[in-house]
Amino acid sequence: MGIQQFKLQVSLRLGIALYFFASISRCKHASTINEVGSCTSNLDDSNPSSSALHGVNEFITEAYFEKHASLIDSDFQGFLSKEIPLEFCEVLQDKLEPVPKLSISHRHLIGEGSHRRLSSSIRLEIQPGSKFTLPAHFCDAILVEILPSGVFADPFELQHLLQRGVFTGAAVFGDTNLELPSVRSNRSIVEIHMDIGSNVLSGNNNGLEINIEVPLHARYAPLGEHEFSRVEFSPPDLFTRCSFEGKSHKQSCIFLSTNKSLELKAGAVVWDVPCGIKEHTGIVSVVTFFSAIVSALLIVFTAFHYSDTTGCNNLKQM
Amino acid sequence: MATISFRSLMLFSAVLRLFLIIYGEWQDIHMEVRYTDVDYFVFSDAASLVALGKSPYKRSTYRYSPLIAFLLIPNALIHRTWGKILFSVSDLLVGYFIRTILKLRGVPENLCTYSVMLWLLNPFTFTIGTRGNCEPIVCAMVLWIIICLMNGNLLHAAFWYGLVVHLRIYPIIYAFPIILTLDQSRFQSGKKPILTDWSSSKIQSTNGSGSIKVSDPCHIWVSLKSLFTRGRLLFGLISAAVFFFCTGFFFYLYAWEFLHEALLYHLTRTDPRHNFSIYFYHIYLHYEHEFALSEKLISFLPQVTVQLVLIWRFAQDLPFCFFLQTLAFVAFNKVITAQYFVWFFCLLPLVLPWTNMKLKWEGWACILFWIGAQSHWLMWGYLLEFNGKNVFMQLWMASLLFLAANTYVMVTFILRHTSSPVFKRLEHGHSNIPTKID
Repeated sequence: MGIQQFKLQVSLRLGIALYFFASISRCKHASTINEVGSCTSNLDDSNPSSSALHGVNEFITEAYFEKHASLIDSDFQGFLSKEIPLEFCEVLQDKLEPVPKLSISHRHLIGEGSHRRLSSSIRLEIQPGSKFTLPAHFCDAILVEILPSGVFADPFELQHLLQRGVFTGAAVFGDTNLELPSVRSNRSIVEIHMDIGSNVLSGNNNGLEINIEVPLHARYAPLGEHEFSRVEFSPPDLFTRCSFEGKSHKQSCIFLSTNKSLELKAGAVVWDVPCGIKEHTGIVSVVTFFSAIVSALLIVFTAFHYSDTTGCNNLKQM
Repeated sequence: MATISFRSLMLFSAVLRLFLIIYGEWQDIHMEVRYTDVDYFVFSDAASLVALGKSPYKRSTYRYSPLIAFLLIPNALIHRTWGKILFSVSDLLVGYFIRTILKLRGVPENLCTYSVMLWLLNPFTFTIGTRGNCEPIVCAMVLWIIICLMNGNLLHAAFWYGLVVHLRIYPIIYAFPIILTLDQSRFQSGKKPILTDWSSSKIQSTNGSGSIKVSDPCHIWVSLKSLFTRGRLLFGLISAAVFFFCTGFFFYLYAWEFLHEALLYHLTRTDPRHNFSIYFYHIYLHYEHEFALSEKLISFLPQVTVQLVLIWRFAQDLPFCFFLQTLAFVAFNKVITAQYFVWFFCLLPLVLPWTNMKLKWEGWACILFWIGAQSHWLMWGYLLEFNGKNVFMQLWMASLLFLAANTYVMVTFILRHTSSPVFKRLEHGHSNIPTKID
């Protein structure tokens, strides 16, 4: 029954995965994936723990797109709940009591205009007095945002942030075309990994709060009757991945993911994007072509008129 | 007034660009807003891919000839600033070529220097190369083609013309005026043509011809009739061969990806996002459905008409024709970005010695109207993109005003220009055209 209660804990779903990290990183290129930071050249073969976290990044979303051609919400949620590799963490089974609590305390858009940052404040609460001692470990927070249609993340911008050390990993999946308007584009997923420190699960502190800001850009919205088109963000999926100093090449990790029902507390994040107004179509087309024709005629007339005048002068001289 | 020597000017310009390159590296590292143009990162990434033996088109938004990526391979092998140095050197070369062209036509030293200063000390142009934009290379090539023609090096001119059209499609608009310039009464293959001196054209101007002098329309008609001369055929064949060789070679390497990204994309590009073009809002409002053939033709007609008339009237005055054509091409294009302005900025110094426009107040009117209209557009663009205001209508009207400014500049330049054919007519006996003393 205690185990049943554990499973029903309001803020947590324990996922336990066993990672096998290769000693040599590999680059993955997929047609639907634009990854930044998944391949690094600074792998330290002598220290697989550090390379496991800060070198090779395995992206949760990548596994989804290996099996699915497009993003469908129900399929993706099903993937997150059922298909993420779950294997026993031999170090941690039944040892993590009471379980840490993960929640999003605040979420909002920063900035104005077409370029903004989606800020998510994430709180990881560790209950004091944990009854066990964990081996040394390093943890990352993993934020998976399904971006609504009309908004995109620039993979190259994320790469720049990666190089500046803001994130430990970042990738965009799905439609990564930066130029298409909403009506011609599909949705995308951005996955961000951020270092939250070492030994955070040891219960030595009361928890921590981190802030993840994802730079986003608005696509040109579909035409409307009104001046703005509303884009709503759904709550993100949140995980914590911890790598423990393990034996040989094996690393044991824990996923802690937040229950989405919690995110409703934070309120929906909305972005009002300016859009073209349908009733402008007629007048804009007419005036555009009229202006082009008038300008062209002015230039043509000037060229002909003055050349004709001079042509007469030349003929007189002959 | 003391005049600066050309050597000092070039030295100062080189130091300025070097400083900006170094400063740009510092800003990129220490500030969130980078100095370097985003296109430079595209070039560099593509060059890295080429260095690894991969296609440069694996880098999204790389829509240029692979030649650019090849040129920037040292970015990956030596230092990331290699490309900026290359572009800045091209930028300085443009200044040098401007002076060369003007000197070939006997323009006085001080006038040459002022004209060159217009390019080398223009904040717009010296930031272009140092921020990593490749347009100075194209500008240098266009000016080099003019120099080759002026020196009678037809084969060189044809080679570089084929190459520059492969690199950047827009110079295709220069094909007709070049062909028309190569008429046998003025240009004969293998012989150095006789250039019209600046002083002789200015004397004619003060003698009361007053407004613009253009090529005799009858002469143009005869030239068209004798279109297929040896020089023209050579130029056409060699430039076409170079263009198709480059295109074929890169198609062999990169297949349809190259063809689509480097060529077809630019020919069919319609961008609904806001830009200086008057068509942007029209395209956005119609983006959800295909344009009718009549709509496409109507939008194409002003551009084609203006190009043909300008060629017809000013072909013999090659630099002036190039300048007007380029300005018109940009103004009537479906997409206008700021980097396109460099295409005619590099030609402006070549026409200034032949203008009767005084700085006060016609010159100032052109400058202020053009810059003012651009700034006005930028203000609305800022409100839309960075403040999130719905100002599409105002932004579109600002683009109409910008077209008006471009038109005003073109009309003023035409009205105040002393047309001077680059090549003098050859003496009687060398052609079938009646001799006319220029």
